Amino acid sequence: MSEIKPILNTLMRSKAGALLLILQIAITLAIVSNAISIVSDRVDKLSEDTGYDEQGIIAFTVLTYNRNIDRAKQFKEDMAKLKEIDGVIEAMTVSSIPLSSSGGSWIVSDNPDEMLGKRVDSGYIQANYKVLSAFGLSLSEGRDFEAQDESEGGDGQFPSVTIVSRAVANKLFGEGKGLNEFIYSGDNMMKIVGIVETMKSQWPDSKMGDNVMLIPRERSSMYQRVIVKTEPSKRSKIMKLIEPLLLENERQRVIIGIKGLDEAKAQTYQRDTLMIRMLVALIVFLAIITALGIFGLTHFNISKRTKQIGTRRALGARKSAIFSYFLIENALVTVFGLVVGALAALYLGGQLMALYNIPALDWSMVFYTALTMLAMSLLSVYQPAKRAANISPSIATRSI
Amino acid sequence: MLMHYFDLAWRNIKLTPLISLLMVVAIGIGIGVTMTSLSVYHMMSADPIPQKSEQLYAVQLQTMDDGQTWNTSDDVPTQLTYIDAQYLMENSPVAKRAAMMKSGAAVHLDKADSAPFIEDVRITGRDFFSLFGLSFLHGEAWTQAQSDQAAPVAVISEDLAERLFQRSDVLGESIYLDERSYEVIGVTQSWQPTIKFYDVNNGPFQQAEHIFIPFSHIEAYQLHSWGNTNAWKNEETRSYAQFLNSEMIWLQFWVEINSQSQLKSYQQFLMDHMLEQQKLGRFNRKELDYNLKTVNEWLGYNQVIDPDNKILVGLSFMFLAVCLANILGMLLAKFLKRAPDAGVRRALGASKRQIFYQHLVEVALLGFLGSLVGILLAQLGLIGIRETMSIYVGIAKMDWVMLLISPVIAILACLLAGLFPAWVVCKTSPATHLKVQ
Repeated sequence: MSEIKPILNTLMRSKAGALLLILQIAITLAIVSNAISIVSDRVDKLSEDTGYDEQGIIAFTVLTYNRNIDRAKQFKEDMAKLKEIDGVIEAMTVSSIPLSSSGGSWIVSDNPDEMLGKRVDSGYIQANYKVLSAFGLSLSEGRDFEAQDESEGGDGQFPSVTIVSRAVANKLFGEGKGLNEFIYSGDNMMKIVGIVETMKSQWPDSKMGDNVMLIPRERSSMYQRVIVKTEPSKRSKIMKLIEPLLLENERQRVIIGIKGLDEAKAQTYQRDTLMIRMLVALIVFLAIITALGIFGLTHFNISKRTKQIGTRRALGARKSAIFSYFLIENALVTVFGLVVGALAALYLGGQLMALYNIPALDWSMVFYTALTMLAMSLLSVYQPAKRAANISPSIATRSI
Repeated sequence: MLMHYFDLAWRNIKLTPLISLLMVVAIGIGIGVTMTSLSVYHMMSADPIPQKSEQLYAVQLQTMDDGQTWNTSDDVPTQLTYIDAQYLMENSPVAKRAAMMKSGAAVHLDKADSAPFIEDVRITGRDFFSLFGLSFLHGEAWTQAQSDQAAPVAVISEDLAERLFQRSDVLGESIYLDERSYEVIGVTQSWQPTIKFYDVNNGPFQQAEHIFIPFSHIEAYQLHSWGNTNAWKNEETRSYAQFLNSEMIWLQFWVEINSQSQLKSYQQFLMDHMLEQQKLGRFNRKELDYNLKTVNEWLGYNQVIDPDNKILVGLSFMFLAVCLANILGMLLAKFLKRAPDAGVRRALGASKRQIFYQHLVEVALLGFLGSLVGILLAQLGLIGIRETMSIYVGIAKMDWVMLLISPVIAILACLLAGLFPAWVVCKTSPATHLKVQ
């Protein structure tokens, strides 16, 4: 520790190099800790459980452009054919595909007059009564739909039962409640017969990300979404069979966007994937640049002070003393830079949170980033310091 | 003299290849990262129709009852009802106006070997083409009479013509949209604005449509929007007639206004229309409200620029600052090592100023080389963006403005970093260095 004072003296004498390093380290810490915080938030979002069997489900859209086709009958045949394929567990028409950023939503209320009761925006998915198992969802309360719950689409009676996500029930009836309660939307009244703990809506990234309800009503519209639940291992093979099979059944239609549910989800989160990749690239480049900077500056310092080092060695300083001199010098500068950087990081985090929809920066994130940077800094000074330690004392006697 | 400095600079760079290379790489990475995010930002914020952006206005009417809210800053819906759009189309005090919406269809030629494919279709008024400056390769827009009769005619882009018929002059050919046959009466030149400013509903960076059909087809063929259809009111809309007469919001509307007096009269026209409708029980509000926004106002209002991109631009400039601090350190090292050289030149009569400039020229040269590396890296970065986000195909690219600005940023940044080292070198007194030698 007695070495710190002479080190500080030296630093004070050539401030420029040290200041530059401090600046670099401070900005790097500010950027990296905020970038990591954003990345980890997005990664959490991407890996969040959606409730669906994403790997097993194939989703696509059928546009039946010939209006004379009896679509209800046609889709019945199609689904039966699809179910004959080896590895297909279930196939059905659905009003919209979850996680796909497209579909229908409405306002539901716990009161027939929605202006008087609690209201919540919720996505809805209409499909036949086996929809729960087709999506691979697991019921946490109540019962599944039964065949008699279902009503045919079109002008038929609207179903009187629904299965909702936990978020919808909680928002309307309070934590853990809602089963067997009635909800209203427009002129429709439905009884909540089941609640699913985890079930994301068509817009998992939005305010109504957790709000979705299932309605037992089979659809067969001109622009019709379809899901096929498969054994995941056979899914890619089945995916290729769908279009030819359906077009063989009936030519006057177009099959659009055949993809796995996981792929549909990835498309919805494209922006986040892009942000993650950009920020990771930024972090990697920054790490390289800053490490290079530390390495280069130490190199420079050593070559400038070769004679002094030789003199110290000639006067009896051990190799380890020279080595630790540079290590300590670097550590001092780095720690100072990190302290400044931590303050800058928190300031930047506050600004980002205020200006954009970014979650607050965690102290611990800054701390761990700083720790990593300290280790990296010491690592990049190791080789130059070793070289300095090996400077021969005889250098001192030359050319003076 | 400048040429001599360049010569000296190049020699010096060759004398210290490693550190020079490191500097060029550092600048290159800094510029590469910055230009990648800046190019995307530049394209996102660029005026998509500069020649007319101040004359084109998006029309919004506040159709909702008092107390209703919308996801815009002023609670005014971004789209119109059919009743309003239809009225504004037919009774306009200004010449050019168009109501519009995105729909879509299975496109085919009704032949066995023509597999149908899905295309978006823009359903709009005949002024659409002159409003937005689309030019016709062959034929022209439909006439008012054709529109009134809902004649089955369509205008398509040359890209679609090539795709369907392998040639662009396809006037008179028929194409099928779903089960209906349309006669092609016009072929437009490829038109792809960087931002789909005229309809930002399903993302502002979607591709423009390749098929255009008359607005009157909506009612005639009971067409639905493939964009957004929103409701704020509980209404019976089971039949198509009920739907058209409802408060559903699903149409965009644009007008061209060329003078202040025209603007005044158009504003009056909108107010009169709303007052008239109020008598029929619509516009249940204390204060009538509307918006007329120019293209750029409209894009700002719809928050077209992704906040993520703004964050990235900010972070990349901070990153560039780190690269600069880095370069500054290396320059300091490099110049000081060569201080004896400068000492000799000073002793031989070079002024401080000349030494200073000579070093700055070297720095600028490094900056220029760095910008070349940077541009290359930025291209890779932009390819990466296009791969990750297919919708950014039109905007994740470098236009010539960005291409020219890269070396400018790089050189300016390097000069900034080089000021201090150059100053340190030029103020060293010749005597100290001559002594050592």
